[in-house]
Amino acid sequence: MSAAIDTSPVPATKRNPLRRALPFIILLALFALAAVLAPLVAPYDPNAQNLLGRLKPPGTVARNVHYLLGSDELGRDLLSRLVWGARISLLVAVLSVLISGVVGTVLGMLAGYLRGPVEMVVMRVVDVFLSVPAILLAIITVAVVGPGLLNVILVLALTRWPRYARVAYGQTLSIAGRPYVRLSAFMGAGPLRVLFRHILPNILGAVTVVATLEFGLMVLFEAGLSFLGLGVQPPTASWGAMLSTGRNYVATAWWIATFPGLCLFLLVLAANLIGDALRDRLDPHSR
Amino acid sequence: MTAFLLRRLGQALLTIFGVATLIFFLQRLTGDPTYLLVPDTATQADIEALRHALGFDRPLWVQYLSFLGEIARFDLGRSVVQNVPVADIIASRLPYTLALAAGALLVACGIGIPVGVALALGRDRWTARILAGLVLAAQSMPTFWSGILMILVFAVTLGWLPPSSTGGIDHLVMPSVALGLLSMATFARVTRTALLEELSKDYVRTARARGAATGRLLLRHLARNASIPIITVAGLEISNLLAGAVIVETVFAWPGLGQLTVQSILARDFPIVQGVVLLGSFVTVALNLLTDLLYTVVDPRIRLGGAR
Amino acid sequence: MAHMLKPALLGAALTLVAALALSAPAAAKDRFVVDLVNEPSTLDPQLQWNPDSYYVYRNIFDNLVTRDDKGEFAPQIATAWKVLSDTQVEFEIRDGVTFHDGSTLTPEDVAFSVSRIIDPKLASPQQGQFDKIVKAEATGPHSVVLTLAGPYPALLAQLVKLSIVPKHVVEAVGNDAFNLKPVGSGPYKFDSWQRGVAVTLTRNDAYWGTKGPFATAVFRAVPDAATRLADIQAGSADLAVSLDSDLAGQLEASGKGKRLYTLTERLAYLRLNPTKPPFDDLRLRQAVAYAVDKEGITEGILGGLDKPIGQMLTPAHFGWFEDIPGLPYDPDKAKALVAEVGGSPKVEIATGAFFDQRVVQAIQQELADVGFDASIKLVDTPTFLKLIQQGAQGGPALAVSRSSCACQDADGALYQLFHSGNPWTIVENKELDGWLDDARATLDPDKRLTDYRKISTFIAKEIPVVPLFQTVAIYGAAKPLQWTPTPNESLFLNRMSWSE
Repeated sequence: MSAAIDTSPVPATKRNPLRRALPFIILLALFALAAVLAPLVAPYDPNAQNLLGRLKPPGTVARNVHYLLGSDELGRDLLSRLVWGARISLLVAVLSVLISGVVGTVLGMLAGYLRGPVEMVVMRVVDVFLSVPAILLAIITVAVVGPGLLNVILVLALTRWPRYARVAYGQTLSIAGRPYVRLSAFMGAGPLRVLFRHILPNILGAVTVVATLEFGLMVLFEAGLSFLGLGVQPPTASWGAMLSTGRNYVATAWWIATFPGLCLFLLVLAANLIGDALRDRLDPHSR
Repeated sequence: MTAFLLRRLGQALLTIFGVATLIFFLQRLTGDPTYLLVPDTATQADIEALRHALGFDRPLWVQYLSFLGEIARFDLGRSVVQNVPVADIIASRLPYTLALAAGALLVACGIGIPVGVALALGRDRWTARILAGLVLAAQSMPTFWSGILMILVFAVTLGWLPPSSTGGIDHLVMPSVALGLLSMATFARVTRTALLEELSKDYVRTARARGAATGRLLLRHLARNASIPIITVAGLEISNLLAGAVIVETVFAWPGLGQLTVQSILARDFPIVQGVVLLGSFVTVALNLLTDLLYTVVDPRIRLGGAR
Repeated sequence: MAHMLKPALLGAALTLVAALALSAPAAAKDRFVVDLVNEPSTLDPQLQWNPDSYYVYRNIFDNLVTRDDKGEFAPQIATAWKVLSDTQVEFEIRDGVTFHDGSTLTPEDVAFSVSRIIDPKLASPQQGQFDKIVKAEATGPHSVVLTLAGPYPALLAQLVKLSIVPKHVVEAVGNDAFNLKPVGSGPYKFDSWQRGVAVTLTRNDAYWGTKGPFATAVFRAVPDAATRLADIQAGSADLAVSLDSDLAGQLEASGKGKRLYTLTERLAYLRLNPTKPPFDDLRLRQAVAYAVDKEGITEGILGGLDKPIGQMLTPAHFGWFEDIPGLPYDPDKAKALVAEVGGSPKVEIATGAFFDQRVVQAIQQELADVGFDASIKLVDTPTFLKLIQQGAQGGPALAVSRSSCACQDADGALYQLFHSGNPWTIVENKELDGWLDDARATLDPDKRLTDYRKISTFIAKEIPVVPLFQTVAIYGAAKPLQWTPTPNESLFLNRMSWSE
């Protein structure tokens, strides 16, 4: 057999794909822990400035302050800002995914199950939102409501819910037609009961896959908004804002951008890998 | 069939109308550009005069109706900042965005597809895994970060490529790579999935059983069948790329629509933002309509949707 | 014969030197590339008001008068001017100036340019700077008379910004076409404009004054500061505008370029709202003035280039006094004042994206250190402008801002900020109004100075504003570029030179 390519199929992995992602799940948990325990973990006040100790490399000691990872452009301890930044970046991602996920899934389910005018209105609104590029919508909305942590979360949720709605809608359509669902409705179960008892559990898998992938995207989005000057308010430290400021110092004070960049990168990578593994586990068709 | 067509057309028009309204009112909520256009020494009278000349002192609903009227006439208005027709500005920037999107797609496919093939065929497990890891890593970095790193390495330190702006094909390289990084992993994944799907089909097994001579024929069939989902994904990725272009264009000073729109939003140049968003939604809606029509041709069951 | 030898030797020596100089590689620079922040919005000098546009069009058009590198008024299109009466000034127009299309510049063109900019139909954003001019008339083959609404001491300062456009071209092609293909009389001709990419100018070899050193000049738009820096370092741009002190420091350290800087007439300041709490209490206003460490900020963060000031004027302005320093940095006094008032006064510092956020964060920290509950409210530039144009009652409690009048005269710097009735105004005070109106209605410099002294003393005592520092404009340049940036931030190509 001198086949140029070996076309024998790869044996499907019999192990749980989530095991592959285990190290990253642990990483994610570590980040979450740092975020929750920030006041205890961070060595110094993340907003304490020292104008004479600006741009000090990692390892410097100045005025009794150990800058383990260096100091930023206002002399603040980078490590402390990194730890508190975990809080902001995770909060933004988690809350925006949660809000957009819940709103989108509910609306999508209602549209897919109730059909008729509900379907028309919801799906048309979804269409409108999906035809505007998300980042432009985000920028315009931030220009209206102003920047800030809460506003960023709401804006991100506002621009992403249609994605969940579309997935939930499609899945609901296919499940709603199944015999046991129709039977349950025929037997007198109200629409809410049908939705939450029968449909939701079945579409949760697909929605969760979307959610994990959206999580990484939300982290990147927040960084993008900070880059454009529309993110969280200074002096709050989010990894995205630190990375964006640190960009201007890459050649000389590389630590200001590199450490937040690394953390951001690992967080998004972890989210993407976990999402991939979840997708493999929950939906064998797309292996 | 015609009823269905008309209904979808109606929905498409409704969507565009919805987008226009959303953008119009959303922008008007931020005020108007007059404050940005006048010098520090302007008096209230000066500001009012300019506001009147630009038409921003009319009641909101009057401005809205005038706006709708202009769209109906396919007139996108005049830029407030640049004083030229919006259509001209968009026409001059559109080719750059298209070039960037094409370049990025090329990069994403050029790297993503081979990685996907390698993963599916599983020849060298470890290299494939590492490549897959790299590709996924590329998708996990903010583009403004990878962008400035590339500029530092390839333009400032090595001097191989120009750092920004447009000029020749060498100016397109770094922005295309920076943007293409966003989609590589997606193409790798889709290619791998599609190929695995094909490989498990009967005709492959029979071909293998029959021996090596069919190797090349197999390759052609495989490629053809696996390419359908890849092309579908390419279509979806284009909108992702266009969104990601906004930041890449700003970092690399690439004169495309993304950069134009961001700056117009920040400068409150309403007509340009409206023009770009309407153009984008028109294209999206038209593409959706086309795909839906193709699906109805392929699958008659969908035509009958709506009944319970 | 001997007396012919010396000049002959001299001539030979000079020729030798010249030959050597010419044979040196690229002593002249053909293509000069400038990185701007945004592309010009229009090149019609009368249709907009932003630096990105006038960096470019000031090279295409001549102005009526100009300022030399030291900041003094110098003739340009007007060679001399004579005050005929309180309301009439006569300008003598230069001979031998031609527009880029070959036609001669006449007093009719000058009169037309003035009339065009004050015409309400054009709706020029600059109209407010010239509306004290009622009429412009060509009164002879070389003279133009401007009629004013009243005595206007800042006339010359404003005329520095008036570009002369060719009457016959504008009338023939109309405003829209003129905007796309501007024709002026300046040292550079408009060549082409690739929207979003670059504006290209070519040297006007028939220019009446100092000719430009570069055959072509290209102005590009590069919005990101880090990218502008990379352009200079990689050699793809020769001049970049708007770099901050840290970026400029990196440029110097890398050895791949140099920084050029100048103090400008822009000043950074804190504006307080004395009509509402917490700053309706003079003690808290004083506390703010004592709390801010201007030198710490300029030395520590801004690289020592900007200069702390005590008045709402810079030494470059007419009407500045050396002996009005304002309150010094004294955090203990500030703490005492805040403690006296009691509680932890809540203050939100409003600021716009255009302002250096490092400075804002330092100020917030300093206010917090003395007992204020200070937070930052950062909004984008248009929103910020809207916030501070609400008049004296509606303005934010505390805002960090920057002001500029591009006129180097106290009237332009102070009037719109302190005279009631203006959207930007910070206080409404009858006495202040009186002094301001007085100072702008007379041509007598001593009388004006007396008024301005009273005004600045009032401001220093009542503290409706805390002036911070005179800002510096930092440019990144390729090493061979020889150029002295000017305080009014004009980018005159024909004042630059290139030495390889």
